Amino acid sequence: MPTTLEPTVVDEPAVDVDVAVDNPWIVIVWNDPVNLMSYVTFVLQKLFGYSLEKATELMLDVHHKGKAVVANGSREQAEMHVFRLHEHGLWATMQKDGPSE
Amino acid sequence: MSPLGRFRAPVRTKGDGFVIDIGDDEAALIGRLSAELRALLTEEAVDDTARALLIRLFPVAHPDDEELEAEYQRLMREELVASKLAALDVVDRAVTDRPAKVDAAGLLAFMQSVNSVRLVLGTMLDVSDDPDAVEVRTGMESTPEYALYGYLSWLLEHSVRAIQTQ
Repeated sequence: MPTTLEPTVVDEPAVDVDVAVDNPWIVIVWNDPVNLMSYVTFVLQKLFGYSLEKATELMLDVHHKGKAVVANGSREQAEMHVFRLHEHGLWATMQKDGPSE
Repeated sequence: MSPLGRFRAPVRTKGDGFVIDIGDDEAALIGRLSAELRALLTEEAVDDTARALLIRLFPVAHPDDEELEAEYQRLMREELVASKLAALDVVDRAVTDRPAKVDAAGLLAFMQSVNSVRLVLGTMLDVSDDPDAVEVRTGMESTPEYALYGYLSWLLEHSVRAIQTQ
């Protein structure tokens, strides 16, 4: 039995780097002049369980800054959030978190 | 009722649910709008005009990735249409059986539909929140569509108040 470690060749699994890296997606709500501020606040409370204060803060970000990140998660979770927001008539998109390419 | 009689909100809480209580004329109007939106949503051959009117009802989910967007639309579009049609069913019941008693899910569906119609009208009117611009496209300020948009905004505002007080 050898007493020293010999270098070994490791076969790295062939994986898609994008899949392996934990890179959550973010859900963005954009400003839309048609949606009422009170309605947007209510929808954010209902869908994400935010307090009135938190939902109002996000709504005001949407209104004044043009957009706000309202949720994040896996791609599947983000798509479900976007779908629910579209169901309620909000303008929502999703993208990978991190700097834009 | 006296013009000085107490104002009753068109949507209010009642017991553990809600009442949607709208007048005859308003109910007829909302019923017609519901039918028009249903027709737009179920049209098989959607022309450019209809597609433009519906743009706010079906926003893009993946603006930076055509492939993911196509997949999202393939998986979700039909379900989104079905959801909007189911919400319109609640509106149809609310305008035929008045005053309508609904639970929270029913009121939410009513709100979604009222907002869907507002989104279509808002697109038609080219509504803007630019403080330096008029709210709607020039010439549209005195149209029935703008009055209707205002009425539906008022109705939705009352719906939000009612559902948030429970």
